[in-house]
Amino acid sequence: MASRGLGRYIIIRGLLIIPMILILYTVVFFFLRVLPGNPVMAVVGAKNIPPEQLKALEHMAGLDKPYWVQYFDYLVKLLHGNFGVTLAFPMGKPVWEYIALRFPATLELTIWGFTFSVLFGLLTGVIGATRKGKPVDTGMRFYSIFVYTLFIPWFGMMLQYFFGVILHVLPTSGRIDPGLHLHTITGLYVLDSILTGNWDALVSSLRHIILPSLTLGIVLSGAYTRLVRNNMVDVLSQDFIRSYHARGVKGWKITWYALKNAFIPVITLMGLQFAILLGGAVLTETTFSWPGMGTFLMERIDYRDYTSIQGTVIFIAIFIGFISLIVDIIYALLDPRVKY
Amino acid sequence: MIGVTDKISDLDPANSYDFFTWEIHQNTMDGLVRYKIGTTDIEPAIAEKWEVNNNATVWTFHLRKDVKYADGTPLKAENVVWSINRVMRINGDPAWLVTDFVKKVTAPDDYTVVFTLKHPTAYFLSLLCTPPYFPVSPKYNPDQIDHDQTAGGAGPYMITHWVRDQELDLEANPYYYGNKPKTEKIVIRFYQSASTMRLALQNGEINIAWRTLTPTDIKSLKEEGKYPVIEVPSAYIRYACLQTVAPPTNNKLVRQALAAAVDRKAIANIVFQGTVEPLYTMIPIGMWSHEDVFKEKYGEGPNLDLAKQLLQQAGYSTSHKLQIQLWYTPTHYGDTEADLAQLLKEQWEATGMVEVTIKSAEWGTYLDYARNAEMQISLFGWYPDYLDPDDYTTPFLESPANNWAGTRYNNSHMNEILQEAQSLSDQSKREALYKEAQQILAEDVPYIPLIQGKLYVVTDPGIKGVSIGPDMVFHYDLLYWSS
Repeated sequence: MASRGLGRYIIIRGLLIIPMILILYTVVFFFLRVLPGNPVMAVVGAKNIPPEQLKALEHMAGLDKPYWVQYFDYLVKLLHGNFGVTLAFPMGKPVWEYIALRFPATLELTIWGFTFSVLFGLLTGVIGATRKGKPVDTGMRFYSIFVYTLFIPWFGMMLQYFFGVILHVLPTSGRIDPGLHLHTITGLYVLDSILTGNWDALVSSLRHIILPSLTLGIVLSGAYTRLVRNNMVDVLSQDFIRSYHARGVKGWKITWYALKNAFIPVITLMGLQFAILLGGAVLTETTFSWPGMGTFLMERIDYRDYTSIQGTVIFIAIFIGFISLIVDIIYALLDPRVKY
Repeated sequence: MIGVTDKISDLDPANSYDFFTWEIHQNTMDGLVRYKIGTTDIEPAIAEKWEVNNNATVWTFHLRKDVKYADGTPLKAENVVWSINRVMRINGDPAWLVTDFVKKVTAPDDYTVVFTLKHPTAYFLSLLCTPPYFPVSPKYNPDQIDHDQTAGGAGPYMITHWVRDQELDLEANPYYYGNKPKTEKIVIRFYQSASTMRLALQNGEINIAWRTLTPTDIKSLKEEGKYPVIEVPSAYIRYACLQTVAPPTNNKLVRQALAAAVDRKAIANIVFQGTVEPLYTMIPIGMWSHEDVFKEKYGEGPNLDLAKQLLQQAGYSTSHKLQIQLWYTPTHYGDTEADLAQLLKEQWEATGMVEVTIKSAEWGTYLDYARNAEMQISLFGWYPDYLDPDDYTTPFLESPANNWAGTRYNNSHMNEILQEAQSLSDQSKREALYKEAQQILAEDVPYIPLIQGKLYVVTDPGIKGVSIGPDMVFHYDLLYWSS
């Protein structure tokens, strides 16, 4: 009974997310406390705040409680779906509000950047594989190494400079033109502008996402190029391809069949890339002032904002847990060799 | 449209304690008094006149009768009292600016506010110019920090749209009692990197690039000449803290030698590309009582002969070198910090009798080390809370107020001078005391002042009326387009 087997597989894989989150929480919790300094100090530490008030602020943030109390307090909150409140800059704002503001930005950038990277990767990989050994193939291999080594801030700025400062055709930063007040539903601006029928916002948000997602997409596509090309070359040399040729099947059809067969390792890489991107593409976000999770996490580490870091890391982990679950399921469905 | 790389912490003066958020408060709220544009003189704002008793402990303010919040509600004395009590009740980050001074605040009638202070405070009017003293709208949560409250106070602008870390829109407050803002609408965009902000200016996405472009960007924009680069003095200072209780920096001769070997001009020109000025005392250039005490005592620098002589007296030589550790923090003060540490190392080692080890710690850790006095020499910077020499002396030189800096400097004569200066209301007497304090500072060297910052605003050629007060606040209401 394959279907029951698959159901059980999904449940077990799903349940495995729980211990993973617990371990992650414990590690993050204690690592943060081991570091010297605390959130209150990080904000007002370089000021001559009277020691009594420093104590009062630490009390307000709950930092005077023993570690184990802090540990379980937060864990209980998490079980109630509460990510806690920020401890610094500002103190006492629900972490969830930040996640709700920042995560959609990351998700939107991820979706677009990821799509570009897969598209470019497949295209260049297939072109290379079908012209194996020819100059075009060498060119594609060169492309993959070249883009892989591009430094995102530099490449991003080149694009900004060219399309923004010189050609004046695209905006260089932000998610939407200032003054356009989009009513947000999902927080994904492109989707929201379609849902609310706000066409000005649609044009503006599309224009804004082109450069950051292109930067990210091109840099990440290098890995796919090599993987697709090598797998395609393997598949193209197999017997069934030769028999297609023998039967006079058209060239593009053969390429399509070969690509399908070469796809499984590519899916693994896609799952990994997508998961990494959800943690926030710090360099891209910084270069394009894209208000996503990566820069948020960096900023919070600077402030030693324990709860925000814990909450963000756990939220991302849960999300990634589900993504990898989905990838595993797709894998199981595609590849008969996967046992469940 | 204005671009910044800063962030807003809380749109609530009860808890915000950072430079840029204070600037937004200053543009959307008003205090009882304010700095006259371009000077450190204080002029009436919401209060039209005031009186003070003989020993500067009871201050009475008479309010204007035409002040209204942005929604048209009149602002009365009880609102002022409520706002200040709210700050004390919430007791957030900047609350000490109120709680350390104010015993109680009352409203005997609708247009009179009386402050009774805990101790004589000559510079109370400067304190009143800080946001914790600003009357806020009754819409603010009375007992809790209101992180994203856009109701503001009775200032030239009101907030009409706010997306955290992305955009803040301001529109002229129709009920403002003062002059109408010259620009009806201001949009502020938040950037994560200075270079992106610069490109956004060049692409016409913003019209003004404000805090903070890098020294490199400022220099190249200046050379390019297309965008006017406006330079404004600022009261931001940088200095080194020297630990005074453990060897080897507990030896005054060592500290004096280090002070003598510093070349501030080289620091300003090499590290900061000429965007800052050398500073020879802790009280910034342009503030009353400022005196170049380190220049008088050690020369313009580097005074290597004097440094060598002092080191010899302290028992060091080229074969027996002084070993010291210099600490810096890599991101908090910008990318230039590692270069600053490196240059100081070279300058001190130029004496031939010093060996410097550079160490760094990330901000949170750094502050912890500072409070515990674990760093021999550390680099810090200071933005003023209020514009008075007191804010540049007491927090550094009076013990235990200076505990945060980790120098552990404690000189009873210095403590007395500073306490006396706080309680006097005669400015010329205070000036004499602060000058004496600076002389002792140059003799004892618990700090080595290095440089004083400048502010830079880069604008579209068509923009006029950039006006930044001595408190470093950009007054958006004076901006206008010239055709």
